[in-house]
Amino acid sequence: MPDNSAGNSAIENSVMRNFIGSRAMPDLVYHSPKEISDLLSMVDAHGTSARVVAGCTDFIPSVRTGRWSFDQELNLIDISKLPVLNQIEKTDDVLKIGASVSLTRILESPEVKVHCPVLAQAVEQMASLQVRNTATMGGNICMASPAADTVPPLLVSDAWVIIQDAQGEHKVLLTDFFTGPGRSVLTSGQVLTHICIPVKKANEAAWFQKIGTRTAVIISVVSAAVRVTISNGVCDTARIALGSVAPTPVRVAEAEQFLEGKPLDDQVIAECARMAAQAISPISDLRSSKEYRKDVARTLVKRSILACREALK
Amino acid sequence: MKMPLTFMLNNQQTTLEVDARQTLLEVLRNQGGMTSVHRSCEEGECGACTVLLNDEPVNACLVLAASVQGASVLTSEGLVKNGKPHPLMKAFTDELGIQCGFCTPGMLMNAYALINRAGDNLLTDQVIRKTLEGNLCRCTGYVNIIKSVHTAQKAKLAGEWW
Repeated sequence: MPDNSAGNSAIENSVMRNFIGSRAMPDLVYHSPKEISDLLSMVDAHGTSARVVAGCTDFIPSVRTGRWSFDQELNLIDISKLPVLNQIEKTDDVLKIGASVSLTRILESPEVKVHCPVLAQAVEQMASLQVRNTATMGGNICMASPAADTVPPLLVSDAWVIIQDAQGEHKVLLTDFFTGPGRSVLTSGQVLTHICIPVKKANEAAWFQKIGTRTAVIISVVSAAVRVTISNGVCDTARIALGSVAPTPVRVAEAEQFLEGKPLDDQVIAECARMAAQAISPISDLRSSKEYRKDVARTLVKRSILACREALK
Repeated sequence: MKMPLTFMLNNQQTTLEVDARQTLLEVLRNQGGMTSVHRSCEEGECGACTVLLNDEPVNACLVLAASVQGASVLTSEGLVKNGKPHPLMKAFTDELGIQCGFCTPGMLMNAYALINRAGDNLLTDQVIRKTLEGNLCRCTGYVNIIKSVHTAQKAKLAGEWW
């Protein structure tokens, strides 16, 4: 008879290791408000013991892997059942997307396709169908990851967010929203309720590209978005944003200004891409080295401007 | 926080006592007895726990059980009718789209939703691959899984489907 005891204890050990690796959740009180007034009074009443969630696709892994831990009981406020935050509306020149609209609905929305196609282009490359069916853009923004793929397209589109609290509504430009990795201007008692995007004009084009170690379910090594408007053959306005190359998604102002007022010829585009890569100082981490990130950032900016030029022909 | 959870589980109204900390994956396996919902990465990378939530595929490991109050959940157990395997399951066994079987229940649920969404439009390899990108399989190399989905869609178009 073979002795199985060593084998069994190895299995038990590995089970224990897995269990420690996926920590238990803190004690939760689950709230699911149906009205915006209930939501605001809940976040106000629970203060720092409250967490606002929508899809939970980032919240659950963050707690389980121990990236987030809580000393006290947590009041989880689920905004996914609020009809007013689950709508895509177009008013005048602005596309207004509720914070709990799923990525799949953004991807399939005819309004987004027409008025901000670059956002749909980015969403299509995010995660998997299963995650897109639950995850939201509000969540992607509030997690404030430097690698958030919806953010570069929103930055180049001059988007802003609407934050609500007991005092009322506040409009914050997305360029002013992020303060560091995982950090934003949102404080306890506040909820990001909508994302507003100026609609695409006839003489403009935008493009998004990302590079990861595979094409699906992957965190970007570098992502880039570009938007240009053209009149009389020269670039009128240029917006260039990069993800995963700084503590927050960033715009590269020098490269944008360089492009403005110039025709989009190969030489100008190459120089602009070089300047964009020059302006960033990425870090080396698990996913990539800083040298590779700079190199890829240059290539992605170049390809994105070329794609915009092609679209405007 | 303990709470009663009432939802449609495989077309039957079900009430279970759950803890607000539990994910849908844990509740389906532990309280619901649906062990085809496989626990693997628990962070939405592998798709082994894919179930249909209101007819849309989701990772059960990334859904809080408390949030499915009043919703409908379908697992691959729910595809079996009167002890007969679903034509989709038969396609997977006929085409060898199944080897060790660990990814299979998740693959089935994602493919089931895809075929239902497609209606009369014949699925292309590209669409199947894009849709199943969140379901990892380490055995088959995916080729036979794609074949299985094609075969299953043909079965549906021939009227053998439920």
